[in-house]
Amino acid sequence: MHHPALFVRHVLLAACLSVVTAGGFASAQGSDYRPVVGEYHPEITLPSIADGEPVSLSDYRGKKVLLIHFASW
Amino acid sequence: MPVWHETVKEWVSQGKLQIIGVIQEQHPERCELFRQWQAFDWPILHDPINVLNTTAVPIFVAIDQHGIVRSVRPDSGRFAEDFINRDFSDDASNNSKPLTPPRQVNDRPDTDARTQGDVLALWHSPEKIDAAISAYRQALQTSPDDDRSHFRLGVCLMRRFESQKRRVGDFGAAIASWETALAGNPNQYTWRRRIQQYGPRLDKPYPFYDWVDQAQHDIRARGDTPIELPQPPLGAEIAAPTDRFATAKDNAVNPDPAGKIFRDTERLVQISVTTVPSQPKPGSTVAVHIHFVPNPVTRTFWNNESEPLRLWINQSDDVTLNQHFIKGVNRPSAETDEVRRLEFEVRIPEEATLPIRINGYALYYVCEDVRGVCQFLRQDISFSLGK
Repeated sequence: MHHPALFVRHVLLAACLSVVTAGGFASAQGSDYRPVVGEYHPEITLPSIADGEPVSLSDYRGKKVLLIHFASW
Repeated sequence: MPVWHETVKEWVSQGKLQIIGVIQEQHPERCELFRQWQAFDWPILHDPINVLNTTAVPIFVAIDQHGIVRSVRPDSGRFAEDFINRDFSDDASNNSKPLTPPRQVNDRPDTDARTQGDVLALWHSPEKIDAAISAYRQALQTSPDDDRSHFRLGVCLMRRFESQKRRVGDFGAAIASWETALAGNPNQYTWRRRIQQYGPRLDKPYPFYDWVDQAQHDIRARGDTPIELPQPPLGAEIAAPTDRFATAKDNAVNPDPAGKIFRDTERLVQISVTTVPSQPKPGSTVAVHIHFVPNPVTRTFWNNESEPLRLWINQSDDVTLNQHFIKGVNRPSAETDEVRRLEFEVRIPEEATLPIRINGYALYYVCEDVRGVCQFLRQDISFSLGK
């Protein structure tokens, strides 16, 4: 379960994202995932495996983050 | 990956670092079980359709407090010096677009069909899985070579097959979609792994889900209840890789050699056959998945108090089988209506001419709710390898 303040941030973020047009979604243009050192990491919002609720990278702005893309196997 | 978890544990507990995981697999419950087993206490995001377009895992990205990427392959031995204890200024100017789609598209006319599929698949499934499939198919009408739409369509078809909305051919269609996607981009290992999970043992890099039993055991041993898996991995999903094809022993006895057992003429059980790869070549090994779906129209269910589902595949001079008599497993309760899957592997000789016909039959005890009749039935099975 997320902290209530975090939940409010999720809702606000979701509201902001809902007005983003398809043109504002970088993946639609189709480049592979290649974060660039020295640049902002593009925003990611995906469902949590725990409860399906949205979690965004920007929720953790202000903290140093280790982002790990992995698989269970 | 667990090595990194151990390495950074102290910094996480001190509030100096936040870990965020992104996992690419089809089933969120399996990911959650893995998290529970490994006691990962950080958020894990689910990207089943590979909307991020990651081509392989693992990938480690160190991001500073301003959101700026500082390393894409951090050295665990120098992580404190290079990242944790270092001051970073907010010195980036590039403000890039989000990598993930919005949660709603509100039928905007400027939204392309693939993005609509992404939104529906990520945020509105399984309830809108049919709409997601339609959106990806629409995208492919406009751009037939769009590999990503092919892959994501496959994810949705597999998800629908594993839901109550399933259509009998969904599993095979999912495999075919993934194969088309991979043919367009053979460097996409995230997609390749999805197919290999269902493929023959000779083509597997690892067992994939053999850790599930151990995880459930370990979690119970520490007094917790493991996350329940609606789709427990089986067959090819947990089979160990091998470098040699194991042939069938010949001591199995054909249970109905004269074909006397009554046929399932009403199709109380719907059967579909999928081969992986779907278009095998001479010299290749093929995983054959046979799904048995109790017919929802007749409200068929398995009679678990009788012998379990059995599958007999006729011996053939044209191919080699790793087994030709396979028994399923009954569930503990007396009546269930789950989809059952039996699998075997076939080795096609180099000199073979395709297509090759494979014949066999299934035997099962089923009941149907419409008339309340229970029967022991046979259904003949025939399919081709290659076209």
